[in-house]
Amino acid sequence: MPEKAMWADVSVVGIPRSLLYYRYGVLWTTFFTALGRQVVVSEPTDKAIADRGEHLSVDECCLASKVFMGHVDSLIDRCDAVFVPSYPTAEHRTGFCTKFQSVTDIAKNTFRDQHLEVISCEVGNVRKVRDVRRPFEEMAIRMGASRKEAHSAFKAAFAAQAAHDKVLADAQERTLRQIVAKRRAAQTNPNADPGLGILVVAHPYITHDAYLSGAVLDALADMGADVVFADAIDHDHAYKKSFEFSDTMPWVINRELIGAILLTEDKIDGIVLISAFPCGPDSMTDDAIMRYIQGKPILNLMIDAQSGTAGVETRVESFVDILRFQQKGGYTHG
Amino acid sequence: MAKPQSMIEQVRSSVAVELDRKRKPTLRPDKKAEKKAKHRAKHHRPMKAAFFRYCYYDPAFKFFVEQVLDVDYLPLPEATRQTTEVGVQNSSDYVCTPYKHILGDFVEALDLGADMVIQFGGPCRLGYYGELQESALRDMGYEFDMLNFAHGIEKGYLGWAKEVLSKVNPDIDIPHGVVKLKGTAKMMELLDEARDYFLAYGGFERKRGSFDKAWDGYMNELRCATDERDINQAYKHVMESFRAIEIDKPERPIRIGVVGEMFTAIDERSNLGLDHKLMSLGVEVHRMLNFTNRYLHYNEPNLRVGAKDYITYDMGPTSTLTIAAAKQYAQAGFDGIIHAKSAGCTPEIDCIPVLQKISEDYAIPILYLTYDSQTSDTGLDTRLEAFYDMLAMKKEKLS
Repeated sequence: MPEKAMWADVSVVGIPRSLLYYRYGVLWTTFFTALGRQVVVSEPTDKAIADRGEHLSVDECCLASKVFMGHVDSLIDRCDAVFVPSYPTAEHRTGFCTKFQSVTDIAKNTFRDQHLEVISCEVGNVRKVRDVRRPFEEMAIRMGASRKEAHSAFKAAFAAQAAHDKVLADAQERTLRQIVAKRRAAQTNPNADPGLGILVVAHPYITHDAYLSGAVLDALADMGADVVFADAIDHDHAYKKSFEFSDTMPWVINRELIGAILLTEDKIDGIVLISAFPCGPDSMTDDAIMRYIQGKPILNLMIDAQSGTAGVETRVESFVDILRFQQKGGYTHG
Repeated sequence: MAKPQSMIEQVRSSVAVELDRKRKPTLRPDKKAEKKAKHRAKHHRPMKAAFFRYCYYDPAFKFFVEQVLDVDYLPLPEATRQTTEVGVQNSSDYVCTPYKHILGDFVEALDLGADMVIQFGGPCRLGYYGELQESALRDMGYEFDMLNFAHGIEKGYLGWAKEVLSKVNPDIDIPHGVVKLKGTAKMMELLDEARDYFLAYGGFERKRGSFDKAWDGYMNELRCATDERDINQAYKHVMESFRAIEIDKPERPIRIGVVGEMFTAIDERSNLGLDHKLMSLGVEVHRMLNFTNRYLHYNEPNLRVGAKDYITYDMGPTSTLTIAAAKQYAQAGFDGIIHAKSAGCTPEIDCIPVLQKISEDYAIPILYLTYDSQTSDTGLDTRLEAFYDMLAMKKEKLS
């Protein structure tokens, strides 16, 4: 039980627009708003934030976590406290990369001299509502809310996140249906455009951060591809599906991504994997995906301290060319 | 902190185009292999099991395989350059280094005639080593069984017992196995205890190599042990011979604490003989990180209390141990700390900001070492010597 309301005087909560914000952001913001706090989300990543993060982090950190530090830095003086939760790795099949577990303490230590106030909670198993609810409610009590207020705030926040996820998942379903419909139309009418369905497989904080993956997504859009985001596909369904691929994979997000690949494989034309260098979980799962997902061409892209886009564009273009060539019959049926 | 090299724009990419689906999208062994394994489990018990090379725990692994699992143990010879190279060739290039070492070990073990290899499960990337290595080895064409402790880990000991009974040997006498398992734990503990003494005094021997000789004798004696009595005997012998060695220890020697990642900070093959290099400089080495402290006696929440000025939550598999140990060394007035990890070890990289604060607060120098499969031996020598000289100068100035 929390002993006292140590964060009662926090009225403006800062949330870094990075890492798990892209996965649980709606839950976090709704939760603090429901508690009557003002929420400041940092600006979308730009070069200044990324450079600042790079400067503040240890060299060997992954790109995404360097960017995160930049976001925390940009929130200093704009809020009373920054919210940096710790997500678990202890769960054996629904864990996260250890980065998400340690990020609270990294932020505290990195910004110790600036006296940054960090509010946080230690979330349990993310696939059990109770394990998520309890730490959030305790945090609310530390912020001076009553038990009842905490409960209803979490309820509202959880519902908002679920609704948000559902909207995104439905959007992916629609895109998938469009892709299939276009392909069918092209089969009967040779003049119609068969379309090109690409599944983008990346952690949500890569896919939806325009600074990190924007070049790839823009290049795909320019080539006229319909993009489906693997991280947005129905999480629960994808998670369960992933056990067909691997028994022991420990990371919940990677599980959902792999499940999404298995679910949509037959409807799409190609897969693009994007990782931030050097992503720990991806270093292993990308290897497994490249070797075991057959039947669809896969492009594996690694992004590292982005400053130019030409390299990415060339690779995406040549990959899309492979797919188009394949659609026309390829080498074997020409 | 940021080096200019890392800002150079880089795009790494690769393409896989395999349009015929030649195999199912799953890492599990296919039906045929599964059936074969079932048949083999029923009619031919695996004859030879092998572990990967891990520090000085080889006798304990041998004891575990022979006494608990009740199958033959295949000891591996000293690792060579070739071992690592095979591992590196068959793994993706930015996976952590222990994965590559272990994969190389498994290849060597299978070449030498093992038909079962054993892999641990764990909380970080280690939890996924087994399955990926199994698939990589099968892709290379090997046929074997893998006892992977990442299976059944969610059910703890019961899950592992089930795994062992179904995969290795259905006829294990369980009460006997439990007793022997206790023996394995005892052996681990005594290995670590003797090693601690070895590290603290090995640098001051009068006659070079006497500690190593006693240590080798200990390892040989443990390899022959069959029960707890033998283990205790061996420990008694080695401690006797350790104490009999003439040492020439200055009153205030340079003391260095080694912290870091579970594999690299201990395993002398992957850290290029860090223990011996430090001892040959005449350093008293301390290392809290070992199997005993991480697994057998590990109470993370309580350990964290000691370091609560720096950390609020558990930061990763060995992070709390790293930070608590570093803080203890700093408080105990050690001269320096060495932080050793493999390239890309996320949890230990995350410890660095915390260690930097400890270093600041206690004014204790920390040397950060990152090992990948190509780290050069001479480069390490230079760095350690420079670090030692700095500590010695600092000590002289202060005294």
